[in-house]
Amino acid sequence: MTRLFVDEYPGQARLVRAAFLNSFVALAIGATFGLIQAFHRTDIYRFLPSPDYYTVLTGHGVFLVISFVIFFLVGLFHWAITDSLGQRPSRAWLSWGWYGLMSLGTLIIAASILGGFMEEPPEVLGAPLSADVLFTFYAPLQANPLFYLGLIVFFAGTWLAGADWFRTWLTWKGEHPGKRIPLPAFMVLTTMIMWYLGSIGVIVSLVAFLVPWSFEVIPGVNPLLTRTLFWFFGHMVVYFWVLPAYLLWYNVLPTLSGGRLFSDPLARVVFILFVLLSTPVGIHHQYMDPGIAEGFKFVAMTNTMFLLLPSLLTAFTVVASMEHGARQRGGAGTFGWIRALPWKDPAFTGMALAGAVFAFGGFTGIVNAGMNINYLVHNTLWIPGHIHTQVGTATALSLMAGSYWLVPQLTGNRLVGRRIALFQVVTWFLGIVFMTNAMYRSGLFGVPRRTAEPQYSFEYDVGIGSMGELNAQIALGGTLLFVATVLFLGVMLLTVLNRDSEPLVDGTIPPALSGPEDSPRILDNLKLWAAIAIVLLVLAYALPLASVIQGGGLHGQDIRPYPVVLVDAVQHAGTILGVPIH
Amino acid sequence: MRIHTYEKLWLAGSFVLIVGFIVTVTYGSVGLGIDMIGEEADGVSPDEISSDERFSEPRVEQVGENEYEVYVVAMTFIFQPDPIEVPANSEVTFYVTSRDVIHGFEVPGTNINSMAIPGQVAELTVEFDEPGTYGVICNEYCGPQHHTMEGSLVVTPEWEFSQTELEVDAPESVAQGDEIDLTATVSNGLLETHESTVNVTIGSQTTEQSITVDGESSENVSVTVDSDELGPGEHDWTVSVDDQEESGTITVGNETDTTESVPASVGTETVSVTMNPADPTRASRGVGYP
Repeated sequence: MTRLFVDEYPGQARLVRAAFLNSFVALAIGATFGLIQAFHRTDIYRFLPSPDYYTVLTGHGVFLVISFVIFFLVGLFHWAITDSLGQRPSRAWLSWGWYGLMSLGTLIIAASILGGFMEEPPEVLGAPLSADVLFTFYAPLQANPLFYLGLIVFFAGTWLAGADWFRTWLTWKGEHPGKRIPLPAFMVLTTMIMWYLGSIGVIVSLVAFLVPWSFEVIPGVNPLLTRTLFWFFGHMVVYFWVLPAYLLWYNVLPTLSGGRLFSDPLARVVFILFVLLSTPVGIHHQYMDPGIAEGFKFVAMTNTMFLLLPSLLTAFTVVASMEHGARQRGGAGTFGWIRALPWKDPAFTGMALAGAVFAFGGFTGIVNAGMNINYLVHNTLWIPGHIHTQVGTATALSLMAGSYWLVPQLTGNRLVGRRIALFQVVTWFLGIVFMTNAMYRSGLFGVPRRTAEPQYSFEYDVGIGSMGELNAQIALGGTLLFVATVLFLGVMLLTVLNRDSEPLVDGTIPPALSGPEDSPRILDNLKLWAAIAIVLLVLAYALPLASVIQGGGLHGQDIRPYPVVLVDAVQHAGTILGVPIH
Repeated sequence: MRIHTYEKLWLAGSFVLIVGFIVTVTYGSVGLGIDMIGEEADGVSPDEISSDERFSEPRVEQVGENEYEVYVVAMTFIFQPDPIEVPANSEVTFYVTSRDVIHGFEVPGTNINSMAIPGQVAELTVEFDEPGTYGVICNEYCGPQHHTMEGSLVVTPEWEFSQTELEVDAPESVAQGDEIDLTATVSNGLLETHESTVNVTIGSQTTEQSITVDGESSENVSVTVDSDELGPGEHDWTVSVDDQEESGTITVGNETDTTESVPASVGTETVSVTMNPADPTRASRGVGYP
């Protein structure tokens, strides 16, 4: 007998569907931009002037990692908290309120970015409507104030979403005294604690510095301070992107494999480790920054290495759960059980391939974290290679695979095109292998990231292969990823329209082999873990931030804004600096 | 807490791996001496760059035997100095700052890589063993023409490396029959004594003179030519030493009544060269040697 989320919680299913809709629209735009970049960078086909590349790049980053991933995340979390607690949110207006704020924020941000494509962007709030500042918006590059305001509205929405889920949990807790928090809800709540703590950095940067600065209320900013505050948030956020995939791997993947989760206690430990360690590591993005002492960088490095632990534990638990499932399905032998897994199920295959890519990408992350090795790869194409294996596949492919399992339960419609879906996840996998392989290799001999034209007057020392071959791989990979995106969105659209059907999936998640009763209750003490996380944060960041403020001042020293408007931008830069631009 | 035996083993293995990684990074720092860019160098705000003794003139400066310092200013969308020229077999410390937005300073094919943040100064020391030519690129997005931001780094063979500056003092015109006095001031920016050859060409006359210039000082080379030998009219002159060259034109007045014209003889014996002691006050073009 099938149990469908949409039948039990039709109101909540509607909200989750709305969040997924936003997510998928953002995916469509972001993926199109990605295709343009793959061809522009490699100089295979350029139809935009190169300055516009940076508008595309800003959109690609923001629409995918902010809009696509986080809208999917809030949808997935809303499903997980409602489904696992069996508890509706107490106030419908609160739920639709955060959805509305996040949507409004996204629209404001999108307008500010897309304005950059116009020949002459209109003046809005005293500045041209343009925000070619990339996803990291490092000051003194300056966007239209709307960009920063949109981000604040979006963040407010996510904070409210967390509050909604904590309220639901507290209501549930009152009605179920002494019960352990169900694992999916535990994951949602711990992830949101992590989000609250980590996003403080970027919110302070926006509210206290960037917004007043963009309205000329304060004279300037300290670029190292806003950059450090961004990275206070910036590494936590990558885990925020990956944890929805973890939620699927821990809860859905074992079921899809035909078995049960291997260990519930270890899953809880993993999420607690993320709460504790994912934020006091941000300085590892600033290994190459002047003005931050080597000692602080060393502390960030050791913390980062320990952050490997939850991922290594996840690798064990997830693979063990899959093996358990395969053996339940009749698999045998040391490795022979792998053949018994349900490889024809796109939801399973997508998540399994995403996990495999994540494991590989994790090791490239160790290279990034390895402080002195970072000299070799910092800001080279190696870094986007890493990002695309992690958030671009571990997360994106898991979310797509998860949609094949979840969307039928949210709509009550049967998944259309199961075989196309299977083809889609494999195409994504192949695309990412080609593209990131070339990115990693290019990065090793110094090809920079974030540039419209990585072609200079010198020749790169390619070693094995050639630039032509690497560029071809990037373009081919990018094309496959785009095709996979179109297929995914097509399957989703057809599924939503497929009304006269019954889903084949069953949303029941069986209990873990080793359940929560095998772990101490202290694991569920969220206040305790939040308190320890705050202590670690203070230890890791108080001194570096104090030193950055002492060194460069709260508002910087005579550092002028550099509004990034691409119209007549060259002349503009010339007047600011009083020097000719070559 | 109940943990499966295999999982305990995996956990132990994970710890060993993590500690192993930390040990390798620590060995890189302590054993191999790969320092991280830190906060050693004092910052400089963009407005003070023009008056800062380090950055007002972006340059390469010798500070010890085989030791050099390079002061680099990054700005939209160039690097100064460009090219950066250093000798092989040297230890070079780069100081990098930015005049406007955040830039990157990367030399592809090496591990030279740093952020250039306005207000801050990055300090990184590298060793150059072999001669070679490299590109210097900005690897952080800095504005619409970011992709054009490029410089170059030339590592020259030790024996070819010089920091010679040349200044020439020559009259613009002389009367027919007068002597032409041309003085070349050769400054040596290196700490060590530098030996070189000064080539002087005036009209059709050529001479060369070997010179030895002490470290951080200058020498004058004076060349005297009788204008009668050149004849009336305009005469181009060129002075070159190492990679430096200066040139100009001397006009010899056509005053036929002053002296009888003497047929111009060819040969160095008609060109008198005198060596004068160094006159530091004339090293006006030597840039910023402390």
